[in-house]
Amino acid sequence: MSWLATLGRFAGFCFDLARANTFRMPPPGRTMEEAYRIGVQSLPVLLLISVFVGTNLSLQGYAAFTPLGGQRLVGMFVALAGVRELAPIIAATMVAAKAGTEMASQIAVMRTREQVDALEVMAINPLWWLVTPRLLAIVLVMPALTVVAIFTTIASSWLVATAQLGLNGTEFLDFVRTSIDAKDLLACELKGMIFGVVICLVSCFCGFTSAKGPEGVGQATNSAVVIASVSCVTLNFLLSQVLYG
Amino acid sequence: MADRIDEDAPPIELRGVSKRFPTSGGGHLVVLDDVSLTMPRGQTTAVIGPSGTGKSVLLKHIVGLLRPDAGEVRVFGVDMARASEAMVYTVRRRIGMLFQDGALFDSLSTGDNIAFPLDRHRPELSTRQKRERVEQVLEMVELPGLYDRPTAALSGGQRKRVGLARAIVMEPEVVLFDEPNSGLDPMTSDAIDQLIVGMKEKLHITFVVISHDIVGTLNVADRICMLYGGKVVASGTTAEVTHSDHPMVRRFLGRNLVLPEPGDPGVATLPHIG
Repeated sequence: MSWLATLGRFAGFCFDLARANTFRMPPPGRTMEEAYRIGVQSLPVLLLISVFVGTNLSLQGYAAFTPLGGQRLVGMFVALAGVRELAPIIAATMVAAKAGTEMASQIAVMRTREQVDALEVMAINPLWWLVTPRLLAIVLVMPALTVVAIFTTIASSWLVATAQLGLNGTEFLDFVRTSIDAKDLLACELKGMIFGVVICLVSCFCGFTSAKGPEGVGQATNSAVVIASVSCVTLNFLLSQVLYG
Repeated sequence: MADRIDEDAPPIELRGVSKRFPTSGGGHLVVLDDVSLTMPRGQTTAVIGPSGTGKSVLLKHIVGLLRPDAGEVRVFGVDMARASEAMVYTVRRRIGMLFQDGALFDSLSTGDNIAFPLDRHRPELSTRQKRERVEQVLEMVELPGLYDRPTAALSGGQRKRVGLARAIVMEPEVVLFDEPNSGLDPMTSDAIDQLIVGMKEKLHITFVVISHDIVGTLNVADRICMLYGGKVVASGTTAEVTHSDHPMVRRFLGRNLVLPEPGDPGVATLPHIG
């Protein structure tokens, strides 16, 4: 039953956040600051993971299709698996691991050090001050990071396909181009935005509801990355069902 | 009446406030039990008592961070539990609070921490005016020239002073102190007490001090309220409470303190040792 109670508290948190932002502009200047931080934090690890996801997609596609004489289809495999499915989820898990954990731990530490109470006493709504800019920032940044993940995955898989596996590079790109269209890219962006909202809300909720003290901060950080990642993977399946099912 | 400030009402008034928290065993822990208390304007009221008697919980009720299970907490006549969020924030703008560790924002410099409420609530002030005001309060807490110092580089005593500077920068009518001496060495603790006394003389505002530092409390307080087991066991002027016959008060204050006589604003001291 405790998960049901937690779900209820999460719904209450989202309601309070919506109420805190009703008829009110977001804190000035803070959104771009947060967007820069989320983007810069997540970019290096996202690039690294995307590169190796791309290389492995080429290797696995080549290994799977060669016995069937369809090694030319590696480009299509990379486009369908990499772009449609993996790129948004890679971006989401990396942002959850880097930015999401930072959000949870930062807010949990602020709670422990009474800084959240201090905001309240200074007549500043902590949800408006701490969550709103992060939410707006992640909605701005996630689509951009998803695009980075898409292009890095395609580029690295193309490199392995041409340089190591000896496939025709132009043909590879033609298969990529014909396998995905504007709708797929829009779907990726939509997934990215939804995942961003989930990561931010879950991470901030874990921070705001953490127990005080070092143990509470650790638990909040851990819960944030686990719940956000599992939620994104589950949502990815549901969204793919709706968009492609 | 709950949603309107009454300028004639006492700054802080608690009427039959009770609060209990659930325990892990499924029971309840009563932290405040029918507490009634009035904190008069322009005076320093100290709330004392052993650890775990609900002092900080009482303070959190005053600023509306906690809601009582029964009774009412009125600040400037506003019932903090039933007033609208906008009214609670209006009341809070008239209150400053010094938290135990200062509750300073680590990402901001000392000056930016103090200017934080000004930036949010006084947009009509220019950057220069805000800086002047911050430097003025830094002078008041005897930390001149520390505007640009990172908060990580501040000592425990300095953090308290910066927290105090932030609490008074908006010129509040009530300042709440949550354990102003906790974690400080006796000399720094004494300096903080002197600062509170000096502030009271300069600002003529209502102070509420939560403490279990007896000597410090007796030196800064006009009135004392002692909590024990969630109940008020003694309340009155400093001299009245220190001469109370209540056994818990006697035990808590300690028989060896040299106490001021009733009506004498004299200073309490520890006996000379050795």
